[in-house]
Amino acid sequence: VHEFGTELAGDVEVHVWDSTAEERYMVLPERPTGTEKLNEEDLAALVSRDAMLGMVKVTPPKGGRP
Amino acid sequence: VNSVHDMGGMDGMGPIQVEKNEPVFHARWEGRVIAMRRAMAATREIPVTSRPAIESIPAADYLCMTYYERWFTALVEQLVESGLVTRAEIESGKSASGSAKAIPGLKASEAATLSFRVPPVMLSVAVNPRFQAGQRVRARNMHPVSHTRLPRYARGRTGVIERDRGVQAFPDTNLLSRGENPQHVYSVRFAARCRLHRHVGGLS
Repeated sequence: VHEFGTELAGDVEVHVWDSTAEERYMVLPERPTGTEKLNEEDLAALVSRDAMLGMVKVTPPKGGRP
Repeated sequence: VNSVHDMGGMDGMGPIQVEKNEPVFHARWEGRVIAMRRAMAATREIPVTSRPAIESIPAADYLCMTYYERWFTALVEQLVESGLVTRAEIESGKSASGSAKAIPGLKASEAATLSFRVPPVMLSVAVNPRFQAGQRVRARNMHPVSHTRLPRYARGRTGVIERDRGVQAFPDTNLLSRGENPQHVYSVRFAARCRLHRHVGGLS
């Protein structure tokens, strides 16, 4: 996670869910604060590939609310 | 197998190379390898998975190969092993004169549904579960020379059953055509310096 540039607070508990050839997990990224008024399309635009890997957090749009 | 692919917890591989805007494929042939693999698996003439074949690649070769080079190498080995083609035919790119066409060609209209033509993972066989969620278990310290889902870093370690995933074919035997050996598959939580969840076959 650190190598992906993600810094986690010391009190964050990390669980790693390993997939197999038969089972896959879907990552649902955490919704960032300040995005309450965004619609589905705007929210989707914030999600990156690495966020779907569970390696980086989704960041709210720059400058706070759009 | 204790072969080089079982890299969990291994050190000395250097930092993860994070590629910005990584494409799905780095070259056109990579996508073609996936297509060939799926098309051949759909014939049922080669195993449905390439995993055991990938794990059999000699360690020095394995480490020098890219992901899809391993796929391709495994596919060639499985095709030759199945008797569908000879190594000479693959080298020359042409079928030997007089060789029979064993399988009808794949139609484009069939290709879209190819991915779904894999055997179901869940088996509708009644098997009593040996463990329950919350129970402490110890992973076997075993070193089979063939495919296993029990990675080295979990062997001998104590974990807790997290979840019962139902009755499934046991990959350690099923992928080697040694029988489905239906049994409950569990997610097991291991606490170490890192917490890892793993599907482990060899629990005791």
